[in-house]
Amino acid sequence: MNEEELTPHFEELKKELEGKITDEQLRKELNTYLNEYRVTIEAAKRGIKRKYGVDPTLSFVTGDSISKKISDLTGTEMNVDILARAVFTEKKTVTVRGESKTIVSGILGDETGTAPFTVWEGVNVDLVKGETYLFKNAYTKKWNEKVQINLGSRGKVEKPEGVKVDVPDKIIAAESAEIKIGDIRDGAGNVTVTGRILSVETRNITVKGETKVVHSGLIADDTGKIQFSAWNDYNLKEKDSICIKNAYIRSWKGIPQLNLGDRCEVSKVADSFGVIDAAASSRKTVADIMSIGGGLDVSISGTVVDLRGGSGLINRCPQCNRSVLNDECTAHGKVTPVFDLRMKLTIDDGTGAISAIVNRQDTERITGVTLAAAEGLAKARGDTEIVAREMAPKIIMKRITVTGNVLSDEYGPMMIVKKVEEAKVDVKGEAERLFKEVEAAL
Amino acid sequence: MNARETAWRLFSSELNSASHEIKGADEKSPSYVVTRLGAMVNRVLVAGVLTEKENVGTAEEPMWRGRIQDLASGNFFINVGRYQPEAAAEIAEIEPPAFVAVVGKVRTYKTDDDRTFVSIRPERIIRIPEEVRYQWILDAARSAWDRLNRMKKALSLGEQTEDTLIKAGFGQREAQGLVIALEQYDSPNSAVYLKNIQNALRAILPDRNIDLGLPEDVADVPDEIEIDPASGGSDRNDMEDIILRLLEELDVGKGAPRDELERRAEAEGISSMELEEVSNALMDKGMVYEPNLRYLKRI
Repeated sequence: MNEEELTPHFEELKKELEGKITDEQLRKELNTYLNEYRVTIEAAKRGIKRKYGVDPTLSFVTGDSISKKISDLTGTEMNVDILARAVFTEKKTVTVRGESKTIVSGILGDETGTAPFTVWEGVNVDLVKGETYLFKNAYTKKWNEKVQINLGSRGKVEKPEGVKVDVPDKIIAAESAEIKIGDIRDGAGNVTVTGRILSVETRNITVKGETKVVHSGLIADDTGKIQFSAWNDYNLKEKDSICIKNAYIRSWKGIPQLNLGDRCEVSKVADSFGVIDAAASSRKTVADIMSIGGGLDVSISGTVVDLRGGSGLINRCPQCNRSVLNDECTAHGKVTPVFDLRMKLTIDDGTGAISAIVNRQDTERITGVTLAAAEGLAKARGDTEIVAREMAPKIIMKRITVTGNVLSDEYGPMMIVKKVEEAKVDVKGEAERLFKEVEAAL
Repeated sequence: MNARETAWRLFSSELNSASHEIKGADEKSPSYVVTRLGAMVNRVLVAGVLTEKENVGTAEEPMWRGRIQDLASGNFFINVGRYQPEAAAEIAEIEPPAFVAVVGKVRTYKTDDDRTFVSIRPERIIRIPEEVRYQWILDAARSAWDRLNRMKKALSLGEQTEDTLIKAGFGQREAQGLVIALEQYDSPNSAVYLKNIQNALRAILPDRNIDLGLPEDVADVPDEIEIDPASGGSDRNDMEDIILRLLEELDVGKGAPRDELERRAEAEGISSMELEEVSNALMDKGMVYEPNLRYLKRI
């Protein structure tokens, strides 16, 4: 072990042995343990502490483990004890490799920092927010550059009597990064967001048999908009501009959503956005969307490169509006279907390709083929497929701008289109710009 | 995630000069043709003039071959078989010459003497208005220019490995493409791509005297001279016929040498300026192309 790697251990021992040993002695002891006897650093530290009269168990060293402060965790600890306060905790059931499991997760904090934790055998573990706990024989991992504390089957949670760990407020606040709404992506962790509420509604929902009130809606800044759900009443009102601290991100089908949980702070702020240009705020490339996963009211401009199967004249169930084949609805059985028009487009902007579903009104407007005309054509030819074939040359290779919500699944991103427009390209103007750029560079 | 491969907008010169292919590990993973500018191409979007098509299959089971000239750099070669039912139905209805756009996958073929040919297997082939063709030329020029700059940036780094490129801000896929391109082909000759960009800009902005200062054999046409389209019309057709005949006569395999063509045209009463005009017009129509700077060839 070299000097650099040794330093933190050296410092830790020096602090714990307070004046019982000189620096020189300590260095020599460490050298003896590590380089002559080649024991592990943990064993060396325990041995030295014992030798100089500090009971290692007092500093929560048990078995082979060592105790650490949260900010000292490196994400590679195999066996570590952590004395910390439960800043936030929740019990939930997850499915791990097909098996249902009860876990307890949340955030631990001490005077040096906070870190998320998971107790993987959580059936008999009940943690209370604000209480201090000793996590014994924990292991740590690093994910997204953040250390996570895990307690597996070898670990356990103890409640030490009379010990209290304080977590300064600024530490909790510092954990949450200030972020623009347009930059929020899945796994962003805790965030602080400033935006204006575009809409809000209050609903009662049932979570595991319990009725909860949730205030949800849309919030926007000058870079984008996002759906939020507040689990406490912050008296949110439409058009209010607010700063939300310590919100967390959960994604649904790739669309990040902002959650205002128990640790969240909301304050009203002066509006600095002016008029939020909804169209400009959400313009993205397909590559952007792929890295984020999805989004609300996103606009993409690209070339239509395909009109896929399931486009043109289709049949829908009159009851549930699902598209049906052979007059058979998956939910309602044999039905007399109604006709509808739609397009399933592939739009490619040079950075990637996205699937886009366009409804009847927009299909009629963009292709000039009306539902009535399509039905007439299909009847005359005795063939519904003809409608898509007629539409294809009217839409493929067109430059369009589509706006809507984007979801992602295993086949990539897909937009449910709310608005579609032909994109105007100023070819000569763009060419002049390129010419100037090339000329200047040569 | 199994997202659809993006369609690259690139000129035929860049696509056709690619010879390195990365085969997918299994049938489901995509293959890529790596171009000299480092594009990892699985799918393309190209536009131009369908100058010819030929059914090399049977009437019942057609196999179409065709050429599409991109106006700025040369021809794309397309092959439509029965596994591309939409494209097969579409190409059957299109009579060349016609402005078309094609979306399709790229395929490579090796000849006996180990040369690589790149062709496109269209998924869609659609007639387009001329303005859409110009849009495409602009996109392809912009895209080539961007790649030239990215390649230049990569070359300015001390060492070209995926790691150093990613650290310098390149995306993972982009870094991979650039590293492979440099390994397989060495640094690209930027003059070739700049010439394509110049041709593209000239096509879009015919009234501007666009000159990027690249080596050229033929002098530029001065701005102030205007050819009267009415009187020029019939003369022009005659001149085109003469030039086409000369091209055939002077073809040494890779085309007719420019200097020889110029001399013979002069003898026929066609000035070098008129020759430039006519050959540009013929290139626009997709009847001739430049295999390289000093030759002109009939298609």
